[in-house]
Amino acid sequence: MARNHGSDGSTSRRDFLKLGAVGAAGATVGAGWRPRKAEAKPEKITFLRESSYVKEFDEHFNKVLIPRYQQETGIKVVYEIVAAGGSAVPRTVSIVESKAPVDAAWVQQEWLYREGLLDVSDIAKDVGKQQGGWYSEIEGLSVWEGKWKSVPFGNIGQCMVYRKDWFDQVGATTFPDTWEEFLEVGIKLKKAGHPYGMSMGHGYADNNSWLLPLLWGFGAQVVAKDGKTVTLDSAETARAVDYVRKLYKDACLDDCIGWLDPHNNKAFLTSQISATNNAMSILISAKRDLPDMGKVIDHALNPKGPKGRFHSFVPVTHGIFAHTPDPAAAKHFLRWLMDPKQVAAWYRSAQMYHAPFLHAYDKDEEWNKEPRFKPYQKVLETGKLVSWPAAADRRFGEVVNKWIVIDMFAKACTGTPTKTVIAEAVTGLKQIFG
Amino acid sequence: MSRVAEATRPAARAVPSARAFRLREWLEREAVFSWLMLAPPLLFLLLFLGYPFCYGVYLSFVRRPVAQPATFIGLNNFLNLYNDAIFWQAVWNTFRFTAAATVLKLAGGLGMALVMHQNFRLKGMTRALLLLPFIVPTVLSTVAWQWIFDPGMGLFNRLLMFLDLVKQGPSWLGNPTLAMVSVILVNTWRGLPFFGITILAGLQTIPDELMESATIDGAGWWGRFRYVTLPLLMPVIFIVTTFSIIFTFFDFQLVYVLTGGGPANATHLMATYAYSVGMSSGQMGMGSAAALAMVPVLGVVLLAMSSYVRRR
Repeated sequence: MARNHGSDGSTSRRDFLKLGAVGAAGATVGAGWRPRKAEAKPEKITFLRESSYVKEFDEHFNKVLIPRYQQETGIKVVYEIVAAGGSAVPRTVSIVESKAPVDAAWVQQEWLYREGLLDVSDIAKDVGKQQGGWYSEIEGLSVWEGKWKSVPFGNIGQCMVYRKDWFDQVGATTFPDTWEEFLEVGIKLKKAGHPYGMSMGHGYADNNSWLLPLLWGFGAQVVAKDGKTVTLDSAETARAVDYVRKLYKDACLDDCIGWLDPHNNKAFLTSQISATNNAMSILISAKRDLPDMGKVIDHALNPKGPKGRFHSFVPVTHGIFAHTPDPAAAKHFLRWLMDPKQVAAWYRSAQMYHAPFLHAYDKDEEWNKEPRFKPYQKVLETGKLVSWPAAADRRFGEVVNKWIVIDMFAKACTGTPTKTVIAEAVTGLKQIFG
Repeated sequence: MSRVAEATRPAARAVPSARAFRLREWLEREAVFSWLMLAPPLLFLLLFLGYPFCYGVYLSFVRRPVAQPATFIGLNNFLNLYNDAIFWQAVWNTFRFTAAATVLKLAGGLGMALVMHQNFRLKGMTRALLLLPFIVPTVLSTVAWQWIFDPGMGLFNRLLMFLDLVKQGPSWLGNPTLAMVSVILVNTWRGLPFFGITILAGLQTIPDELMESATIDGAGWWGRFRYVTLPLLMPVIFIVTTFSIIFTFFDFQLVYVLTGGGPANATHLMATYAYSVGMSSGQMGMGSAAALAMVPVLGVVLLAMSSYVRRR
């Protein structure tokens, strides 16, 4: 058998093996496997966030805050952006599990992995004291067993977004105040060729943000305050399910039953729907790209049900991973970020898209620049965590991520009887809550 | 240099050179060298496939919420899945999705290969273009499909309305049945070139003489296809179908991007369900059990494939 001994100048087998060994060793050293020493000043802080629907928000962080922090401390900030739309939770879960080199993050659904987060009570308490105090409802998420596991930032408010011109055309000069009125107007609008588009698919925000408040407004709850008793099987739930089925059939675009979070933005901006439940990003996009449409969009609080008006939070909180090699450095960064010198301008860069959970910003001048954004500030007053009235714990994370409540409504819309959809949802809930 | 040093030098050199010679000989032995060459890919597989798989098996027997210690619970995760209606819906969906998409891809791929085997102008370019769905990243093409399925602006509904076939197009992703049809359609579109090109490669190995003999014996196009082409293509068709079943059964990206498993779990597959339980809900044990539930199917497919290859 002919063997290559390298005599012709080509690589011999031994050379190849040597090369491989050297390469492997080099890769090992180059990968920087050694953890950073805590006593040494860190070279960088890695901060992870979901990309914002308002691009100015990320731009402000990149162009203003990162250079400023580097100038003041000599520490570089790496801003790792995860695409919006549901991939941030799996990403943070995998960071906690694999102890990936990320120091701090927007800790979405932190109830799933609070044990993997540092106690940041000192920062949260100081920031609250300094800036008018926190909205108490958010403490249900950030405070766990007496310790702050995250520092609240803001709520991505979810309100009713609607085409005022089309509502006017059917005689609804003010936005319907109750769910029943909302249905009546919707029937007229659908007949006029302008249906609603109320998301009921496997998204994470735009579905929960109206279906849960609607359920609560009808007097129903998923789980009791004790966090153990499943209370969904009730006459109030049945009424809410019947209502949603009718709303879907008589007032909505068929497609909305399968929508993920970006779909209602797309449908609204392409004039396919007259109303949806969403953050203020639709108006921001319209003003930028479709100025004519931007003039005829308005916002309103969720309609109220027999038991009141409710909103659900899409909260943004920042936390520090317990595995960070340098907790002091990460805490310094988070404290610096939440200082009014930084955070106020950061809030304003996105036109208060993240409504601050700090009372100091309740009457911030920024809210007056676009009066149509004011309902999003009001959401903070009636907003609840999605687990309400139960505590926000990991079990509710399962409810949300398995879309148990959402699918109860969606199945009803496809024709499954009310009793069946409630029974199926209750079975799913009992598997989680025991 | 001292005399002593000079005197000892050749002897000192002789030892390492003898060692080097023995090492060289050892390395040149076929058995040693082949194992050395095999070692890197084996290590790679063990590290990036074997370790995660074994860890997944371990996780499936424990209760292991993210960031919490594991508690051994035996088969409880599997029992919970057995009693989970969503899991069974995902299983049913996965089988329907895999069966329909594979049959469509096989039929379409065979047709595509037969056409591509003919001589016509711009054949090379057409072949290259037909590979596009396979080359374009799935996430990117799926986003494009989202637009195609859009009820108001989408290509399908616009076409239907333009042809005056409907007054208002259907909701492709909002209707549970149509949503499943849509994901099957996209999977078929993406997988068709894999079938087409592989079967075309098989077609090109069939000697022309066989076709000529069959023609002389009076076989028409159907006879040539049924009794010459198809039997000779069977090994290729079997292999490509087996691979396709595996890829389709484990498909994740397409459904995750297009529907997220909705509406009302109508398109939830075992892979997307395992992901939503394990990664989104943070139940690592239960998620691993759901993912492992796919392994027996893979096992059956692999057994069928190996027994076929052995028989051949």
